[in-house]
Amino acid sequence: MAQMWITMGPQHPMTHGLWTLRVKVDGETVVDTEAELGYIHRGVEKICEARDFTQVTPYCDRLCYVSAMTWANSYIYAAEDLLEAEVPVRAEYIRLISAELQRLASHLMWLGAFGPDIGNLTLMTWCMRDREMFLDLLQELGGSRMHYNYPRIGGVKRDMPIGFADRVIAKTKLFEKRLDEYEMMLDESTIWLVRLQGVGYANAESMVEAGVSGPNVRAAGVNYDVRWAHPYSVYDEIDWEPAVEKPTSVKGADCYDRYRVRMEEMRQSCRMVLDALNKIPGGKNTNYASGDEMIYTKAPTRAPEGATGFSNYECTRGASQFYIQGGGEGRGKNPYRVSIRSPMFITIPYVAKTMIGYKIADIPAIMGSFDPCIGETDR
Amino acid sequence: MAEAGENFAAFNSRALVEMVGGVTDEALKATRIKKFLGVLAGRYFNWAGRKSLFTLHLGIKCCAIEMAAAATPRFDGDRFGVLFRSSPRQSDVLLINGPISKKFADKVVRLWEQMPEPKYCIAMGECAISGGPYFQSYNILEGVDTVIPVDVYIPGCPPRPEALIDGCGLLREKIIRIGGAPSVQRASEKPVIVGED
Amino acid sequence: MVGSISLEQNTSAAEASLAAINDRFGGSGIDASVQNHSNAKKYAFVRIVCPPQHWLALAKWMKYDLGVNYCSMVTGTHFPDGPDERGWEVAYHFLRQPIQDQTPNTCTVHDVNALSGMDIPMEYEVFIPLPQGDSPTVPSIQSIWVGADWNEKETWDLVGIKFEGHVNMHRVLNPNDSPEGFHPLQKQHKLRYHDHNEMYDDPQGFMRKPADEGRVK
Repeated sequence: MAQMWITMGPQHPMTHGLWTLRVKVDGETVVDTEAELGYIHRGVEKICEARDFTQVTPYCDRLCYVSAMTWANSYIYAAEDLLEAEVPVRAEYIRLISAELQRLASHLMWLGAFGPDIGNLTLMTWCMRDREMFLDLLQELGGSRMHYNYPRIGGVKRDMPIGFADRVIAKTKLFEKRLDEYEMMLDESTIWLVRLQGVGYANAESMVEAGVSGPNVRAAGVNYDVRWAHPYSVYDEIDWEPAVEKPTSVKGADCYDRYRVRMEEMRQSCRMVLDALNKIPGGKNTNYASGDEMIYTKAPTRAPEGATGFSNYECTRGASQFYIQGGGEGRGKNPYRVSIRSPMFITIPYVAKTMIGYKIADIPAIMGSFDPCIGETDR
Repeated sequence: MAEAGENFAAFNSRALVEMVGGVTDEALKATRIKKFLGVLAGRYFNWAGRKSLFTLHLGIKCCAIEMAAAATPRFDGDRFGVLFRSSPRQSDVLLINGPISKKFADKVVRLWEQMPEPKYCIAMGECAISGGPYFQSYNILEGVDTVIPVDVYIPGCPPRPEALIDGCGLLREKIIRIGGAPSVQRASEKPVIVGED
Repeated sequence: MVGSISLEQNTSAAEASLAAINDRFGGSGIDASVQNHSNAKKYAFVRIVCPPQHWLALAKWMKYDLGVNYCSMVTGTHFPDGPDERGWEVAYHFLRQPIQDQTPNTCTVHDVNALSGMDIPMEYEVFIPLPQGDSPTVPSIQSIWVGADWNEKETWDLVGIKFEGHVNMHRVLNPNDSPEGFHPLQKQHKLRYHDHNEMYDDPQGFMRKPADEGRVK
């Protein structure tokens, strides 16, 4: 049979974002693939050169819009490296709680988009319903459902509201029971298992060679997490374990392993949030005023030429890094260069090559299991 | 003599239809029932169209997540008839929910042209209205209305799902104001500015 | 509670890497140093400034003898007002991850306190300053780390730094039909409304004529 190129173009219900995947098919089997990105390239790196350091934070929220808090935190750590700012411990705890709540919301969004790819439309409604719980919590902290502009260089914008901790505990405990419901529905579903197991093998060494990180690599049996390898914030003080899955085959991790590792990560995030609320200095039911020294230390606003800042952060989809150079316009008030490393920018070409050898029907399963987010890819 | 291919029978179906049709048409016009039926049909299509706005499944950026949230149990756009279709040929509304880059501009126009009349465009979020936070970018158009005509603008960054549902409500009011079958009426009228009157 | 890499492990790994680099490349123009972050836990990392002619040798040695297996970020900066020998700078960031020789179908959970030597994760930063001019060129490391592939494409696309020996270079973020030589992150390209003189009356510039270039309102 003749081979032909099919364009799964930018407007496609499966692609989880705006990018083109061209597949060369021989009948139903995928023989070659080509990924084309750049449909929402906004030039954020160039725009940030005309903004103050504080004004860059909302742009970083909008990089990966599904996990905005983690990207804002990632930028803030780099800015703190550049400007040499101190952060109070309570602010680090609040950042950790907000990042883990965001990780829960992001994994739920992933599952809610992944389910319909496999055909399970119920998952979409269930996951979005549960995600609303965490969006409400994040809205209490940051003011908006999706783009919070919450962390500041030197701390956080405002403290946890009164009663926030009780609401977090109630919702997290409820969610842990809901996770059992999800697993009950999915792990006993033949369609789910048949469509995910044996599909999309990716082994750890080739992933590390290619620059893939995060839950995709942990699904292949290797425990590497930026939170313990290059520690930041207070992850070494709270009770958690990175979620690692033993791959089901010698060929590497399949889609089922990647799904399992994210379910386990959700459990770990719940555990982290509950533990952090117990250990937070100043207590979980106190609310300090904005700008109080418990949650914010005034940071310098200018960086001299030649200063650089770098942050290595575990975002929901992998290791995100910011490299900022100081000495820009406004006599150092603006960055000279902001360079953003997106985990998905490296993973998507790798995923495109993983699909070779499988059927067209496996493409959404493989694509969805790697959890693409094009906002951070295209910057 | 009859022409080649024409039937000799007196009840030639084509001639019969034309004769009967012509007579009926004249009768209906005389009694003004034809105009009445035309207006009724127009009102009916208008009602059907605004009660079932099929939106194209196009997710560009952050506002797409709020669009997805508007379809979920908490906000539920489906009870207003808003359903997502995968193909532009089957959808009524093109919901632009993100910034349009130069690479994507001609594809947006192509999607718009592929949609059959009556069609509407909703610009959701600041990026689609005016370029949003990226108005200075070298790669982003300053608003989707530079390439396609927009009917409703929904401000916000991102607008809440309630705002999106409200925007669809504004679109329904606009369709009511159009009155008849939209594709017939709109070609002959000036654009309707929502909020002005 | 899982452990994390302690300050002692981190400092010892950084010092060991520094010693290895100086041992191998000392005195050849490659300048390595241990720096400390000013954020998070203020851990140490290795910063290397390398002239472009030695870069391939250093890269291969880092991959095979220092165990740096993860190419994380490749980026470039344009310094039009900088010194003559630093008109451009290519910045590489690598990580050394303890993921070597993974036995298939096994699960490796490290005992973090027992990690030692080349198993301790470490960050490496490599700067390659390039002279002022219009055609900055650096050897490509696409054949050494697969992860450098798309990073180099992006750096060429946005900044304009050419990577010698890079196979299949193409635009990744800018449109494919962007003009030849258009690399937006170079400093001579300004943002729209950069000087705030266009924001009134005619925001979309429909009335602008070529003679109005540079006109202040």
